[in-house]
Amino acid sequence: MLYRETGDFKSSYATDQQTFPIRSERYLFWGAMVIAFLVVPFFINDYWEKSVLVPLLVWSMAALGLNILTGYCGQVSLGTGGFMAVGAYACYKLMTAFPDLNIFFVVILSGGVTAFVGMLFGLPSLRIKGFYLAVATLAAQFFLVWLFNKVPWFYNYSASGQITAPERTIFGIAVTGASAPPWATYLFCLTLVFLFAWMARNLTRGTLGRSWMAIRDMDIAAEIIGVQPLKAKISAFAVSSFYIGVAGALYFSVWLGAVEPTEAFGINVSFLVLFMVIIGGLGSILGSFLGAAFLTLMPVLLKNVMVGGLGWPTDLAAHFEIMLVGGLIVFFLIVEPHGLAQLWRLVKEKLRLWPFPY
Amino acid sequence: MNQHIDPGTLRADDGIERGGMLLHVDNISLSFGGVKAITDVSFDVKKGEIRAIIGPNGAGKTSMLNVINGFYHPQEGTITFRGEKRRRMRPHRAASQGIARTFQNIALFKGMTTLDNIMTGRMTLMKSSMLSQAMWWGPAHREEIAHRETVEKIIDFLEIEHIRKTPVGRLPYGLQKRVELGRALAADPALLLLDEPMAGMNLEEKEDMSRFVLDVNQQFGTTIALIEHDMGVVMDLSDRVVVLDYGRKIGDGTPDEVRNNQAVIDAYLGVSHE
Amino acid sequence: MVLQARGHGVSPDFLNFIETVLNGLMSGVMYSLVALGFVLIFKASGIFNFAQGVMALFAALTLVGLQTGQVPFAHLINAILGTDIHHWGPGLPTVLAILVTMLVMIALAFLIEKVVLKHLVNQEPIILFMATIGLAYFLEGMGDLMWGADVKALDVGLPSGGSFWWEDVTRAWAPEGADYFGMYIDTLDVSAAIIAVVLVVALTLFSQYTATGRALRAVADDHQAALSVGISLRSIWVIVWSIAGFVALVAGIMWGAKSGVQFSLSLIALKALPVLILGGFTSIPGAIVGGLIIGVGEKLAEAYVGPIVGGAVENWFAYMVALAFLLFRPQGLYGEKIIERI
Repeated sequence: MLYRETGDFKSSYATDQQTFPIRSERYLFWGAMVIAFLVVPFFINDYWEKSVLVPLLVWSMAALGLNILTGYCGQVSLGTGGFMAVGAYACYKLMTAFPDLNIFFVVILSGGVTAFVGMLFGLPSLRIKGFYLAVATLAAQFFLVWLFNKVPWFYNYSASGQITAPERTIFGIAVTGASAPPWATYLFCLTLVFLFAWMARNLTRGTLGRSWMAIRDMDIAAEIIGVQPLKAKISAFAVSSFYIGVAGALYFSVWLGAVEPTEAFGINVSFLVLFMVIIGGLGSILGSFLGAAFLTLMPVLLKNVMVGGLGWPTDLAAHFEIMLVGGLIVFFLIVEPHGLAQLWRLVKEKLRLWPFPY
Repeated sequence: MNQHIDPGTLRADDGIERGGMLLHVDNISLSFGGVKAITDVSFDVKKGEIRAIIGPNGAGKTSMLNVINGFYHPQEGTITFRGEKRRRMRPHRAASQGIARTFQNIALFKGMTTLDNIMTGRMTLMKSSMLSQAMWWGPAHREEIAHRETVEKIIDFLEIEHIRKTPVGRLPYGLQKRVELGRALAADPALLLLDEPMAGMNLEEKEDMSRFVLDVNQQFGTTIALIEHDMGVVMDLSDRVVVLDYGRKIGDGTPDEVRNNQAVIDAYLGVSHE
Repeated sequence: MVLQARGHGVSPDFLNFIETVLNGLMSGVMYSLVALGFVLIFKASGIFNFAQGVMALFAALTLVGLQTGQVPFAHLINAILGTDIHHWGPGLPTVLAILVTMLVMIALAFLIEKVVLKHLVNQEPIILFMATIGLAYFLEGMGDLMWGADVKALDVGLPSGGSFWWEDVTRAWAPEGADYFGMYIDTLDVSAAIIAVVLVVALTLFSQYTATGRALRAVADDHQAALSVGISLRSIWVIVWSIAGFVALVAGIMWGAKSGVQFSLSLIALKALPVLILGGFTSIPGAIVGGLIIGVGEKLAEAYVGPIVGGAVENWFAYMVALAFLLFRPQGLYGEKIIERI
């Protein structure tokens, strides 16, 4: 099947605005979805679930959230780890306080709680801009993690200071807790990510998305033509934090099962998600996925090669990995500052004309 | 040439007769720190006219526009727009009251396409809820399509169909100016402020732009206040001209009156200020 | 009034308060030192160099490695070749080691310009910021690979430990028979403060009275204009990063001597960030005053607020102070009032 737009005419504004305007692209997307929803669950095992697919989905969710704030609205945040912690702890408190509440709603509500916290920490963005704001979001990061460490109410006074996810089911099948089958946790995460990615796409192509991008590209002009900075920025913080909160809830309840705040939600998490967004492509939904995939899969691959293949000690491999990730980020920024999504766009432009160069 | 307009095309119905007062600027003074940018300037803009603001560099013209649309807050004086008096106001409020503008140094949203840029102009008119937008279904979708139709008319009018889906950052200067005009028009403005719409253009581009300005004024009946340095353009286009120098008003009237005003001639030829 | 003359002497509570403030000032100087590295690079190139802290760590690691005569990349070489090497000799004397480390930092500055910055000219600030985060990861990984990740002691011959003289002096201030044993002040902190002050004075003189300094200020003011009068942006960048490397080395020595050379050393960068927002990214006096404010504020919060809310407030307190401050004065302590134009 060739990648062609010739003959693919649009006769209404509605069809002109669809996500995949080109037919072959549409087929490719739905084909991938069919495989993800209907084929993968039959082959998934514990290793693929816990080391590859669920991490990939959780990080994609977080990257989507940060991309809305940073990529679309232009507000750099280094507080992602802290907001994921809010999602995780909200999820834990809701799970334990309302054992009968369906886990699906628990996760959504956790996102809502995080959205509220995100709005609070987004308020300074009305006064301060750029790097000042980036540093200010670090305040959220440190304060939130400290809070979950120090206030016993958040971890239900458990002796270890950890939080552990109890078993919860959907349609009678466990999706959290130790006995949840891999295919169920995978499908649960996939459904949520699919749903929210679709909504992110809709939000970013509509009025709200345009007001975000206007603020990003030129905030003063945006205000003069009628964008309310308060509404645009705070809604970006809210929506972004919602996504990050949902990611945090899944991270804790479905993927890890038990977390300790300093380890799981440290500043490195903030940087990791930021890297995903940068490498994937700022202001691109697809980019969020590509970035998350790259930074989830690369360490798995490296570990297999260096420890499994070459037999290096794990600490050496870990150092090498840090160095390589750093180097790759610099490399990517030099080669393509707009990320993998831009590369994909370029490939498509070439494909459209292939086999003729012009 | 402005006399033969079909009043039926007038929009933004606010009960103000054509030729009635749309905007009143009263005794505006503005300073930054100790530097006075505008001193005690008053003038008015009548509905349906093209009003030019001219003056040498640093005369306070752009500051004046910034005051009108609420971006700068004057220390003294008031603005009366459509009968509503105010001194301080947020720019987006001014925008939703019907003041749209273009900028001296193009202020487009570079990462967005031409279409999206012009759609942002309709921001103040779009009302659908966030949830509805997230679903891309129902009211939000209908609204999007309806506004898209208006925007397509503007795209037609400005003859920029071919760059509809191009990110504006990639466009040449002249086209960017046109897209910016489109974005301002999309707001359906009662008052359109143009800050040097023809700066940096060649003769042909200036002619195009003059035609668009006149068409906007005549076809849509939009009131326009513009800043321009090209005297030929100003004298041809405008109904009335206000002249600023060193932040003060030194002349006001029809192009002919202004041309023969001694203070204006001095300001332009550079008579020393005692 | 806290100060109460009870008989003849000052209340121990007040003396404790003074001690806290003094210690805050000492650590504030250290924060200023790190913040200074940020400000230098930001002023000259508009880059928010997140790698400043890791540069301090890297410098300290290199210094210790040279002092003790470690073979760089020993673990990696051993893992690949199956050999067992670790030291090449007894190591260099301290002064020589510091000089060599400085050369390494200059070489690093040169490489960073050559490999990274050169290709990122005219990119947006956020992209450059990202690049420095990448750089931070790279240097951190490389530092660990070169010298190992274990905690190392660093001794460059500076005095350390509490000052008995000061303890005796201050004990005499308290009333006779009071339960007070004098103020504790680490001599290492004192020498660090002195060195930092000397460094700041030297840098100020350098930027005010030398041709290179003038070029640096010109570039800071306006890149384009500086280029047009024949200042080479690239050599300026190498010089600035070298100076930042030097500042990092000094900071690395001080912090390393105080609490050992280990990964957490790179986190001093995070400590310096609130200083930056308080003082403004472009102001050297701002970095110094901001550092002192944060240092004192942090120590006071630890002593008086910490016990109430469960301790460990120093991680975020400085950020909250800076944030609250920013809301009232977005341009920082010494920044100019921002007039927005369109």
